[in-house]
Amino acid sequence: MLKYVIKTLWRHRTRTFLTVSGAAVAMFVFCFVGSVQEGLNRLSNGEDANRSLIVFQENRFCPTSSRLPQDYANQIGKIEGVADVMPIQVWTNNCRASLDIVVFNGADPEKIQQNRPLQLVEGDWQEFESRRDAAIVGKNVATRRGIKRGDQFSIGNISVNVAAIFESNVPAEENLIYTNLDFLQYTQGLDSAGLVTQHEVMLNNNADPDRVAREIDQALRAGPVATTTRRKGAFQASTLADLVDLIGFAHWLGFACVGLVLTLVATTTVMSVEDRMKEYAVLQTIGIRPLRTLRLVLTESTLLCLVGGLTGTGLALLALSLGGFAIGAEGTTIAFQPSIDLLFYGIVVSISLGVISGLVPAIQAATVPIVKALNQP
Amino acid sequence: MALVELRNVCKSFTKGDQTITPLDHVDLDIEAGDFVSLMGPSGTGKSTLLNLISGIDRVDEGSISVDGVGVTELSRGKLADWRAKHLGYIFQTHNLIPVLTTYENVELPTLLLRLSSAQRRQRVELALEAVGLTDRSNHYPSQLSGGQEQRVGIARAIVSHPQVVVADEPTGSLDTKTSEQIQILLQRLNQELDITLLMVTHDAEVAAIASRRLLLDEGKFVEQNTDTHLKSSG
Ligand SMILES: Nc1ncnc2c1ncn2[C@@H]1O[C@H](COP(=O)(O)OP(=O)(O)O)[C@@H](O)[C@H]1O
Ligand SMILES: [Mg+2]
Repeated sequence: MLKYVIKTLWRHRTRTFLTVSGAAVAMFVFCFVGSVQEGLNRLSNGEDANRSLIVFQENRFCPTSSRLPQDYANQIGKIEGVADVMPIQVWTNNCRASLDIVVFNGADPEKIQQNRPLQLVEGDWQEFESRRDAAIVGKNVATRRGIKRGDQFSIGNISVNVAAIFESNVPAEENLIYTNLDFLQYTQGLDSAGLVTQHEVMLNNNADPDRVAREIDQALRAGPVATTTRRKGAFQASTLADLVDLIGFAHWLGFACVGLVLTLVATTTVMSVEDRMKEYAVLQTIGIRPLRTLRLVLTESTLLCLVGGLTGTGLALLALSLGGFAIGAEGTTIAFQPSIDLLFYGIVVSISLGVISGLVPAIQAATVPIVKALNQP
Repeated sequence: MALVELRNVCKSFTKGDQTITPLDHVDLDIEAGDFVSLMGPSGTGKSTLLNLISGIDRVDEGSISVDGVGVTELSRGKLADWRAKHLGYIFQTHNLIPVLTTYENVELPTLLLRLSSAQRRQRVELALEAVGLTDRSNHYPSQLSGGQEQRVGIARAIVSHPQVVVADEPTGSLDTKTSEQIQILLQRLNQELDITLLMVTHDAEVAAIASRRLLLDEGKFVEQNTDTHLKSSG
């Protein structure tokens, strides 16, 4: 019986091909949007979103404009509940929303190794620590920019020697380039000696993040620069606020794609079934049950959706894994990554859409008035 | 008990404010192994009768049973199951599935039966042999002549070894020579495979090959047992 369905689809291959392509394009966009959404969710719900704090200069947003004394770290370290403080100098090639954002984080290599979930895939920590202009580059940036270990990578006034490429289970990390703190402080020509962009505060297991944040801001109020301290998740979400709106909008785009697949496949299936009402009457006269007729049509629409959906999802995942796409603003990035969840989601959505879009024509075929349809010329 | 029994069967249609009653309280018995032909002017309800016996249309009144099964009592799904096992339908315009080959068209009804693939293959091959189309197995309907298409339609109707085969003007759209081939084929199926046949035709010569001839006139059956039109099959 599957042979009948496939041969029927093959008979109208132009129509089948167009429908499958349409479904593929729509599912491609759907998955792409899904990966952006996933990236955003990871930022605000990730492991470290609530277990570390970011101390930033009050009322500043772009990393180039936040300048905090590096020695604030000592004061912060004394506050109860603080496990560790990592002063970070941030440099980005673009403070606005951009698809090709390059973000440098300068920090103490030892602290990076302790506090960031990184695994080097090429190169070693030793080399990073020993060379002043050494950098370790996140896999995503490396893919996007074609950077390899040993390369000299230059952007703006900065030129670094790539000591290693790293992976991370936190995809946003893979969009970063880490350098030594003092290297970034001196080379950017911003006269940042003794200043950093932000302090990242690692909390003890049972410390209340909001209390610690309040105490930090209070303690530093007496210093030369006032601060705003937020949970890392909230900090990232607020830096990306404009983008979050956009992504929310893109979410609707995803739904529109679903609607598109639905109408496309439903139209094709309705056309195909209405052309063949007599054939379904013949099949039922031969002894094919109405329920089985229903299944035949559902199989047809599901096959269309599944082939299109798998193609689109597959291409989207391929593009995501090869492209190393990321969108970012003000030094924070959202990584678009392929994931098993996306694949699973793509398959489930395709199958569901196939069944739903075939439902109306399937019922038409199952309940065909046999004699009337047989009498059609 | 006869194989096919119609009791008090009534069927009427309404077209606008007009009611036509092609079958008006009719009774009919068909014995197993019979070859019955049914003639009558156009629009008298011959096709309607076949459709009622096959259960693809519903009676208004009365009952029909085939080999003790109350066809008029079954649901649409159960009727489909019953047809798959016990009834073959030969259409005037063969109604083959265009995307399937000769072999696949004939195989289709056997997919609804519990058979091993070897048994299925054997049945299909036998049916194709019976209609003389073994060498056309892989042809599509569009690659066959009208007579060949009709023979595929016949093979499809007999492949499940049904108790009854109904045929609605099986030679109606064929030329005389092809029509004769089909007549001989039907007669052989009846005599050699012992298939009970009920055939509608508007052609007296075609009707003559049957062992029992009926005329449907004004809603009633009339037996036509004068042998004046009987034609030898040789
Ligand atoms: N679905 C229907 N709706 C209305 N009238 C119908 C329908 N089916 C058949 N009829 C009418 O019933 C009569 C018998 O039809 P049919 O059995 O096809 O005749 P035959 O096969 O003897 O030519 C015709 O007058 C036809 O117009
Ligand atoms: Mg008729």
